[in-house]
Amino acid sequence: MSQNDTSTNDSKSATSTPGVDPSRAEKRDESKKTPALDFAKLDLSIEKVEERISPSETNVFDK
Amino acid sequence: MIRQRTFPVTLVFPPQGHFTQPYLALPCIKAWLVKHGFEDVQLLDANIDAYDRFLSSEYLKRARDLVNQRLPLERFAGRTELPFRELGAFRAASEARVSAEALIARVDEAKRVVRGPEFFDVDRYVPAARTLYHALRLVSAAHHPSELTPHNFTMAYANDRSREVLAATRDEAQNPFVEHFRTQVMPGLVARRPRVVGMSVIYGSQLIPALTLGRMIKEALPECHVTAGGGFLAYIGKKLMHAPGVDACLDSIVFHEGEAPLLALCERLRDGRPIDDVGSLTWFDRSGPAVRTVENALGHPIRLDDAPAPDFEGLPLEKYFSPELVIPYDINRGCYYGECTFCTLPTVIGPGYRTRSAKTIADHVVKLRDSMRTRHVNFITDCMPPGMIRDLPHELIARRADVRWWSDARVEPKAYTPEGARKLYESGCRKLLFGFETATPRLLKMMAKGQSLKSTVEVATNCANAGISVTFYAMVGFPTETREEAQATVDFLVEHKDVVREVSLQTFHIDEVAKTYREPETFGITILSDPAADLQLYHDYEAAEGMTQEEAARVFTDMMSSLRANYPLFSGDNIFYFMQKSHYFLHLARDVKPEEFVERCRARTQRRANAGADPSLGVGADTHVVAIPFGYSEALSKLADPLARAARPDFLTGRFVESAEEQAARVLGSIGRKDRVLVYCGETAEFAEVRPDGARALEALKHVGTLGDLMDALPPHDAAARANVTRFAIELHRLGVLTKRETSASRA
Repeated sequence: MSQNDTSTNDSKSATSTPGVDPSRAEKRDESKKTPALDFAKLDLSIEKVEERISPSETNVFDK
Repeated sequence: MIRQRTFPVTLVFPPQGHFTQPYLALPCIKAWLVKHGFEDVQLLDANIDAYDRFLSSEYLKRARDLVNQRLPLERFAGRTELPFRELGAFRAASEARVSAEALIARVDEAKRVVRGPEFFDVDRYVPAARTLYHALRLVSAAHHPSELTPHNFTMAYANDRSREVLAATRDEAQNPFVEHFRTQVMPGLVARRPRVVGMSVIYGSQLIPALTLGRMIKEALPECHVTAGGGFLAYIGKKLMHAPGVDACLDSIVFHEGEAPLLALCERLRDGRPIDDVGSLTWFDRSGPAVRTVENALGHPIRLDDAPAPDFEGLPLEKYFSPELVIPYDINRGCYYGECTFCTLPTVIGPGYRTRSAKTIADHVVKLRDSMRTRHVNFITDCMPPGMIRDLPHELIARRADVRWWSDARVEPKAYTPEGARKLYESGCRKLLFGFETATPRLLKMMAKGQSLKSTVEVATNCANAGISVTFYAMVGFPTETREEAQATVDFLVEHKDVVREVSLQTFHIDEVAKTYREPETFGITILSDPAADLQLYHDYEAAEGMTQEEAARVFTDMMSSLRANYPLFSGDNIFYFMQKSHYFLHLARDVKPEEFVERCRARTQRRANAGADPSLGVGADTHVVAIPFGYSEALSKLADPLARAARPDFLTGRFVESAEEQAARVLGSIGRKDRVLVYCGETAEFAEVRPDGARALEALKHVGTLGDLMDALPPHDAAARANVTRFAIELHRLGVLTKRETSASRA
């Protein structure tokens, strides 16, 4: 999974830079990943994304 | 008959049209020209060529780089509010950034899937179709705010104003066809030096690309006569030929049926004779001090039964996005009924109703089946009269044609009897599309449909019982229609969902040829005109009673939601089969019964909805994330509002109301800063929007391998953590971002 976000353990994302090139992503200490995350407290909300391909935007037979 | 080897003619189908199968007009015209001695006639499907090139990893790399230059996501960083006017740009930038690499890696494979046997595996087909859609969004982002989809091409230029249309032909930043034609099409044309180029412009979405190409040809090949015809130009061609500046892009327009005019034009030009007697031709006379538009008298149509079978040779048949070729063939031209008050489609081919005989049709079909090595036919007809409904199956069966076909149809109870429907099925008919329109009898009367609901249901039931899939055309917003009546229509459609498998729903619109335009008082409407729109074809209107246009647009959305909830073929991403011309038909052509296909769709939607927290779940291959400073779904929600859609060129008409954007901005407002993460899974071609914490959880999941591995790594007593992760995983599984992977046990 490529990651274009340099913010890692910092839950305040105000300093994150959108769209940063993954080659500049901060390398993390592998051993500190999973155990450092308190999964009970993570905000794992998922937005309901409206279907991008809406039939109302297409005329599927002849126009 | 003189054989002309030195008079090259090129017939071009310009973008944008469907990409699943070839179009009919130019193969018909080619066949006519060849029959009459013009041997060097080239067919150029610039539409499929463009789609094929745009949907390649090479081109998408270019698109990605253009987006990074012109629409970098960084533009939106550090801001606290995003106004309505920038939502589209934000959406394009976000999607492009997160999905580009995966699309570049997978687009060629996606084309291979839809063109090959894996097309018939829904779990391969849907991600491939999605990939193509998203790849076109990347192409569009590179030319923002233009949008190229599998169904349409619109720019920020209104295509009902000639000044804007002509400006669009020169805007290389926003018009992807400028570079494409210059590098891919013009070199071949310059080498060939055709004496005549004829373009087929059926749709409004082709207007700007056609004139873009026309301009380039006229600049590079001044001796070439550039003409154009087709359904859309039958509507607006006269206005176009009187608009200043169009003479830089065209030399003439052919109105209605093209065979006779194009033959006459080629003969005159070959012989150096004047073209002022070519019937149905409007042309620019450049002999005087100023360019003058000359309208020749209308000519007579050909005797259709004398026309040869269409000639598809030279088309890049392997490029169409279907696993098997579907060839179009015209049974008749014009509409034998011709009374529906809203419909003007039959007028574009010219006055009068002409038909081939059933015998000729069957002979041609067998010939094409063998020469094109396909047995799939899309019969092009507004509708077949009862005699043809009886005779055509008889002729096809007698010849053992063994084809599979689909076509439009009219409700004819005496023809579509149970026995009639069985014969149709036996002859290879697998899908019929009927003009149902509405469930309200008084509206059917205003439309002069000449059919009752009872007869419509009877015909549909007979066809369904015979194994033929039935599609209904329906509309919302016919003048005076109320919300309650629109609701009654959707209720009726839902009630009959086991007979009707698809609904092509449209909002009512008025063009300048329709009876509704010519006699508005009959329908209780006032036509609105835009004096600045010199190419205006479609008109807004005010209705004395019933829904306004805006209300109808909102009700349309509600009706589609209801159909998507009740029609299995419309549910979830099964709708791709409906959206691609002929893709559902290709399954029916394998003699899969409609109810069987629909059951597969239902089962697939159910499987997806029931997707659980399988321990083998892992992050899908080729998944990328990007931090975004505003809500992606929030932006999409506002962009999907009818007010927002009104601010863009209409998908059908290509026109938009300039003040609509101001109204949309005022009503829909801006969105505030929210730190989100957009996820794109290349394997399934799905987007999802999570919080920054969600991105961290995904990273952790990726690191350990599978959900089962992650759950194993969590403290066993931490029920809250396990519940949180499980909910997250289930939802992402349903969204397609998590897919089943091998477990650590199987890896060990």
